[in-house]
Amino acid sequence: MSNKPEKDLHLPLSRVKTIMKSSPEVDAVGPEPLYLVTKCTELFVMDLARRSFINSHNSLDYKHIADVVQEDDTLDFLREIIPRKITVREYKELMARKSTKANPDDSSETSSDEESEENSDSNQEDNQEEQES
Amino acid sequence: MAEKLEDLNLPLTVVSRIVKEALPEGVSLSKEGRTGLAKAASVFVLYITSAATNIVKNSKRKALTGQDVIDAMADIEFDRFVEPLKETLEQYKLQASAKKSASSKKKDDGEDVEIIEEE
Repeated sequence: MSNKPEKDLHLPLSRVKTIMKSSPEVDAVGPEPLYLVTKCTELFVMDLARRSFINSHNSLDYKHIADVVQEDDTLDFLREIIPRKITVREYKELMARKSTKANPDDSSETSSDEESEENSDSNQEDNQEEQES
Repeated sequence: MAEKLEDLNLPLTVVSRIVKEALPEGVSLSKEGRTGLAKAASVFVLYITSAATNIVKNSKRKALTGQDVIDAMADIEFDRFVEPLKETLEQYKLQASAKKSASSKKKDDGEDVEIIEEE
């Protein structure tokens, strides 16, 4: 191993810098914060992979990652990026349930709590639908 | 600046290598799993960037420092990364200052100075 600090990293600093700069609040990124963000992202990938692996047997798949993301509140920022997949049948059932709920004649009274849950469900469905194909 | 959208993704081969290092030998990573982790990593970069720039803004400074990145970890409840990152920062500072003194001794040798000069 050489002494160069950048040799301890796997991810390309230049790419991480591009991603950081794509944020409108950032104009310049010094080498020190860039190094730390890169290192930190590597730690994050390893951590997420290890935690997802606990539920997988010998093959780490998308669904194991999605499960961890949905269960851990600190990973809330990933929920729309890595939604759980559902089958077409589950999706249709969900839509069917929703349409009966939406019809005021069928459901006697929906509390406001239930309604807000429905709303967040429908947001997720859009993502899940994209994952299906 | 990002010219193409792909520039905002992290290289998949590198992501696989990191994952392979983290997991026991012989574990396979599916294609979708790999893309998922790579996407998660890109979004994570933006997530910490914004948490760290918030700290900078609140303290009315301008430049982002390594310590801001560490403080941001605590803010987003990734406290488990704080200790390892403190070590990383210390090592980085040691190496950077060693490099600085080495390059000031032999100024004509421009080989080693790139990371210090990089803005």
